[in-house]
Amino acid sequence: MITRGLSYGLLSARRRARDLILPVITTATGAFLLVQVLSLAGSVRRQAASLGNGAEVYRAVLLISVVVLLVGVVEVAVCATRTISQRTREIGVLGAAGVRRAPVVAALLVEPVLAALAGAVTGSVIAVVGGVAASAAGLSSSAPDAAGAAAGVILAIAVSLIASLLTSALPTWRAASVPPIRSLSSGG
Amino acid sequence: MTSLTEAAQNDAAASPAEPVVRAKHVWKLHKLGDEVVKALVDATLTVQPGEFACLMGPSGSGKSTLLNIIGGLDRPTKGTVFIDGRDTAALSESQFAALRHDTVGFIFQSYNLIPFLSAVENVELPLMFEPVDRAALRQRAMDLLELVGLAHRASHQPAKLSGGEQQRTAIARSLIGQPRLVLADEPTANLDQRTGAVVVRLLRDLCSSMGVTVVASTHDPLVAEEASRVLRMQDGRIVSTTGQPHPPEA
Repeated sequence: MITRGLSYGLLSARRRARDLILPVITTATGAFLLVQVLSLAGSVRRQAASLGNGAEVYRAVLLISVVVLLVGVVEVAVCATRTISQRTREIGVLGAAGVRRAPVVAALLVEPVLAALAGAVTGSVIAVVGGVAASAAGLSSSAPDAAGAAAGVILAIAVSLIASLLTSALPTWRAASVPPIRSLSSGG
Repeated sequence: MTSLTEAAQNDAAASPAEPVVRAKHVWKLHKLGDEVVKALVDATLTVQPGEFACLMGPSGSGKSTLLNIIGGLDRPTKGTVFIDGRDTAALSESQFAALRHDTVGFIFQSYNLIPFLSAVENVELPLMFEPVDRAALRQRAMDLLELVGLAHRASHQPAKLSGGEQQRTAIARSLIGQPRLVLADEPTANLDQRTGAVVVRLLRDLCSSMGVTVVASTHDPLVAEEASRVLRMQDGRIVSTTGQPHPPEA
């Protein structure tokens, strides 16, 4: 049943691809910033250390990374909420047809998770390729740090996936638990 | 695969004596602030297999409330409802969902088709989450679209279908699980008279040729004309019944 739910979720994500563009772009922006910050963190810290205030600058860079991550999480949560409100009637129809809750939740989670994954990968790729290209073209004074970039990519993908699941699972479960009569009478 | 008509008739013949719906002294009260609104007052009805029963009345008369309670989308404040011989008061929400899945099909006033699915996929929807053979499901959905005269529109999404075509697709969807009971809430309300007549005849034919029991709520006299029994409702009460409590002749 869960497998069928996932398969329905993939079908709906494919058909609703246009609705995924915005969440993909916003997640990609967050991932891009995170990878950029972490790939440049090393060189920023080194330059700051030569000026004698390395610790403060590094803490500032970390703070920026955390803020970027939080913005990404909020974006993913907004995406999940929007998806659920758009699909309330659909949830009601499935509930009226007696479809069980678990596969419905699985189906509805596919979209935010796919958007988060696609956004994180896209943003990471653009950040890495852009960083390398800028450095090669002499547009950047310092080369991106490979280890920092790798950490940024892993962190961006992991945080996006976990955040999409954490922020989507509860509202999706709640929406699927609403009596069908209420879902059907909603405007979504 | 057995033909649709054959399968439904065999199913209906399995327990001919058992009413599909038996509601006794059903009340539904809503609390609005300090006021208690009586949406349904002591409603009692029995619907036999193959009947086309019509709940008729103006807006706010309680017909949709009764329909929703029969279908388990809402629970009564008091009274008992038996569907296919099962006391629904004894069922948990998930057990009622399973009963709906196996026994009841819904047709809604606003069709409620899923906009990103094609007509045939919309028909398949209630069974899409089941471990059923995909090819057989597609064939059955196509057979149902053929039954409602829409096989040629199978690949069209709802936005490309007229109101009548959308409602006929919804009728096909309500039949995909081979239900004993189809509940239609204002099935012609959003349709012009000619299209409404097509939909009503289709519902009547479901009863006569497939042995499906239909309970429809409406304020459309056309639906009442085709129904085998009309229960008139007013202020939450069933005030009169006309017609026979038996299925019409095929």
